[in-house]
Amino acid sequence: MPEMGTLFRSELMCRCQLYLPPEAAYNCVAELGELGLVQFVDVNPEVSSFQRQFVSEIKRCEEMERKLRFIETEVIRENLDVDQDEIEPMAPAPREMVELENSLTTVENNLTEVNTNYVALRKNHLELTEYKNMLKQAEIFLSETRFNFQDSDETTNPEENGVSDVKDEHASMKFNIVAGVIDRARQVAFEKMLWRVSKGNVFIKFSDIEEEMEDPKTGNTLYKSVFMIFFQGEELKTRVQKICEGFHAAVYPCSEHGKERRERMMGVNTRLEDLHTILTQTTDHRHRLLLAASRTLKSSYVKVRKMKAIYHILNQFSLRDSQRVLIGECWMPTADIPAIKSAITTGAQNAGSSVVPTIERVPTTEDHPTFNRVNKYTIGFQALIDSYGINSYREVNPSVYTIATFPFLFAVMFGDAGHGLIMLSFALWMIIAESSLEKKRDISEIFNIFFGGRYIIFLMSLFSIYTGLIYNDIFSKSLNIFGTNWSTNMTFAANESAPLKLGETLMLDPKNPNQYTGVPYPFGVDPAWQAATNKIGFLNTYKMKISLIFGVVHMSFGVILSLWNKVSNRRYHEIFLEFFPQIFFLLFLFGYLVVMIFIKWLMYGANYADPFSEHCAPNLLITFINMMLFKKADVDPKLEGCHTDGMNYEIYMYSGQGGLQKFLVIFAVLMVPIMLFGKPAHKIYKRKQEAARRGTMRDELLGGDAPQEEEEEG
Amino acid sequence: MKEMMYYNINDGYPESIVRGYRRSLLTSSQYGTLTQSETLDDIKLQLSATDYGNFLQNEPPPLTTGVIADRLTERLVSEFNYLRRNSVDPLSKFLEYVTYQYFIDNVILLISGTLHERDPADLLHKAHPLGVFESMPALSVASNVQELYNIVLVETPLADYFRGCLTGHDLDEMNIEVIRNTLHKAYLEDFYDFCVNDLGGTTGVVMKELLEFEADRRIINITINSFGTELSKEDRLRLYPRCGKLSRESPAKLSAMNDIDAVKAVCDNYGEYQHLFRDMNRSERTLEDRFFEQEVRLNLLSFHQQFHYGIYYSWLKLKEQEIRNIVWISECIQQQQKERISDFVPTL
Repeated sequence: MPEMGTLFRSELMCRCQLYLPPEAAYNCVAELGELGLVQFVDVNPEVSSFQRQFVSEIKRCEEMERKLRFIETEVIRENLDVDQDEIEPMAPAPREMVELENSLTTVENNLTEVNTNYVALRKNHLELTEYKNMLKQAEIFLSETRFNFQDSDETTNPEENGVSDVKDEHASMKFNIVAGVIDRARQVAFEKMLWRVSKGNVFIKFSDIEEEMEDPKTGNTLYKSVFMIFFQGEELKTRVQKICEGFHAAVYPCSEHGKERRERMMGVNTRLEDLHTILTQTTDHRHRLLLAASRTLKSSYVKVRKMKAIYHILNQFSLRDSQRVLIGECWMPTADIPAIKSAITTGAQNAGSSVVPTIERVPTTEDHPTFNRVNKYTIGFQALIDSYGINSYREVNPSVYTIATFPFLFAVMFGDAGHGLIMLSFALWMIIAESSLEKKRDISEIFNIFFGGRYIIFLMSLFSIYTGLIYNDIFSKSLNIFGTNWSTNMTFAANESAPLKLGETLMLDPKNPNQYTGVPYPFGVDPAWQAATNKIGFLNTYKMKISLIFGVVHMSFGVILSLWNKVSNRRYHEIFLEFFPQIFFLLFLFGYLVVMIFIKWLMYGANYADPFSEHCAPNLLITFINMMLFKKADVDPKLEGCHTDGMNYEIYMYSGQGGLQKFLVIFAVLMVPIMLFGKPAHKIYKRKQEAARRGTMRDELLGGDAPQEEEEEG
Repeated sequence: MKEMMYYNINDGYPESIVRGYRRSLLTSSQYGTLTQSETLDDIKLQLSATDYGNFLQNEPPPLTTGVIADRLTERLVSEFNYLRRNSVDPLSKFLEYVTYQYFIDNVILLISGTLHERDPADLLHKAHPLGVFESMPALSVASNVQELYNIVLVETPLADYFRGCLTGHDLDEMNIEVIRNTLHKAYLEDFYDFCVNDLGGTTGVVMKELLEFEADRRIINITINSFGTELSKEDRLRLYPRCGKLSRESPAKLSAMNDIDAVKAVCDNYGEYQHLFRDMNRSERTLEDRFFEQEVRLNLLSFHQQFHYGIYYSWLKLKEQEIRNIVWISECIQQQQKERISDFVPTL
């Protein structure tokens, strides 16, 4: 009955060989990939990755992926949505690869072409904008300079390469002007460098460009400044030009004649307008291209990746029998062999192959892979267990029990029905909106964690509500549903003369018949405790004790589960060397503590007469510590009522307790060396036995030769 | 003891990172598969299986050695910068010192490039990104040593090193070589002083060994390259870094090194340099390769000690060697010279 065992143990696996006809291999692997039930094994691990059969196909896939990545970055830069296809496309047939390649190449080429144009245009646009700004600033600079550049001077003064010679009419001094635009970040270094080169003999003016500019390639915002350098001499001119070049400063021609500048300005403005029209058209064209590309982007990605994955798997196959059959090895769950068989048959049919692919089981002693079949409900719990380490093949899978124990133990700690309700609504929302959230889960990693554990959260919240009701905690308040069984008509009277005293308390005393009816509250903790001063004393000891009981039971259960592994693996020695010492150690110390808790609960009570009244109940913590230290507590003479029949009921609850405790501790401590050294010692012993067996075997086999060897050695 | 207690407060994180980087150096089996490659695409495929991952995946074909080399260097620079950003003084100072050698090389590259009237943009592209400084592009303005100092270098950390070469006047081939060696000498001595005297401790011990080797390599190279040039003995002596093991020899002995045999005779006194000249004529390994091998050995050793900064220097050197190896293998494949493909210096 494999169906029954699947949760308790991992799936039965088997190693199989696949014999696929080469022409149908692609389709068969595609079908297997959609099924997702097979783990392939590399049959030729010694062959390096680029000497395999389908390397060129994988390279083509990678090239397509590169093109897709390029298109994707462009699409994202254009702020277009990458369409989320509802249906995932199947792996395309091998012959579709060329088609896909061609279409991607066309799109890439078109895009690069448009991009080059676009960048060139934008660069042009940027330069013109810079020039425009420079001219504007030059107007201001030159009009405010002390040198009286005569705007009306019509004498032609040809300027070349942005450098113009100016004759100052008063001192017949020749001034050179170099003007341009530079990155604002480099402005200071630029100025310093100029100053050092000229030994301080330059005059530089800077002015920030306010207009927004974009880097033609990256689209980032650029911050630039207009600069204007005034200096004398030819030698300096070449140096200044070199520095401008070095600092990537764009130098633009600047005439000192106002009229010429204004003419240029007008030219620049018209050109800018023209450029603007062309730019808009190019942008529109680009947008249309990208929009078309973005529609198929996602499905192309899936197609290419599926194709690449199939060829990657096919690379692990080997071509044998004079190229007539592809042989691959894989692991598969035994229960799914029929489904896998039918999948490869469909694959072969799709490829139109007449040869039927076959599966053959191969016996192997290799370690089998662990495969736990999960559904959307159990996957969260399985992931939780797997995060502690994945169990070996056919070992007991603890995640079945975790489905109940994990939410319950959580709830023991998180016992509040109100908070549980909030959690429940969150979990329910995630479960109800499952299908729509599934698509968005990649957006946030944190949310993905919650979403993956939505059923865990669901169960945790249900258990929290339950334990919350037991604790009678709802948003840290109590509900009085059944009516409290305590009658406390405590009133605090206070007035001007006798104010409320700090010491006044509400102690609940179960002994007092006026306070307690003697019938317990039907479900959970009586709400009266919420207001009591001795609330902590009552609830904490209670909660601590049940936690201890749950803990010990839980741990013992875990140890007992390991018994299954040892039995099914026929490692019986481990039962004696691991299981028994562990369980004895646990039960003799902590199990005994749990037993004492129950004895105390049953024997002592507030309404019982001495020596079983609540005054005589021993402190279990002290008892346990004394037990470990082999110490007997001192008899308290004040508690005379507890001393009867030679028993001190405030120390020992039953006769012979001291002796039993000593025995338990000694026995438990004796288990420690067994746990520590038992298995290694057993291993050493086994190995020696094996070596001795081999030795005798060799002696028997080589009996005739042995004396000869000795002679040689001698 | 003090190092052990306080080292991790500031330097624990960068150390863990750099040790991780060192673990990702190519192993001999990875080199083995690399050398079996038939095309550059195979190299790309092989490297994608290493820690380099998909660093070439967005390169449009055809792949060239230049692209591979650029990407490798980019990778090295980004890793080094990550370390720098996560370091505090004195480690940050140490890492800054490490970059000075690239500064020097870039300065020399630009001056000699300008001398031969190369395209400045091309030169800037060739400059090592770890040694780029702001006023570097203006190097071409200078026409003599004085100007070079006064205009460009006065602001850079190299200014101190440059004082030693202010005597020269013209920027000709010979002088550039002298400037290069003077700068390196000054740099090495300063770095040596910083490591051994300022930092001290294990860093001092480890870096002493590495920098002494570096200095000795310079001494030997300067000597061998000076044969048959106009460089006088005194000038040559002046170029020797004073922190090497060889520089502790008497000046007379050092200046007596007139041919390769004399150099060999001096080096024979040092166990670690003996093998450099052994079987020189018969073996195909060049002196340069032998130096690289020795360097790799020394750098690997520095990872055996803890609580020191030498590992950053060593990792950088090893990584550079690895880049040289990959580029060498790629070149051999590109130029169909497969018989020489194994002539690289493995880093592990």
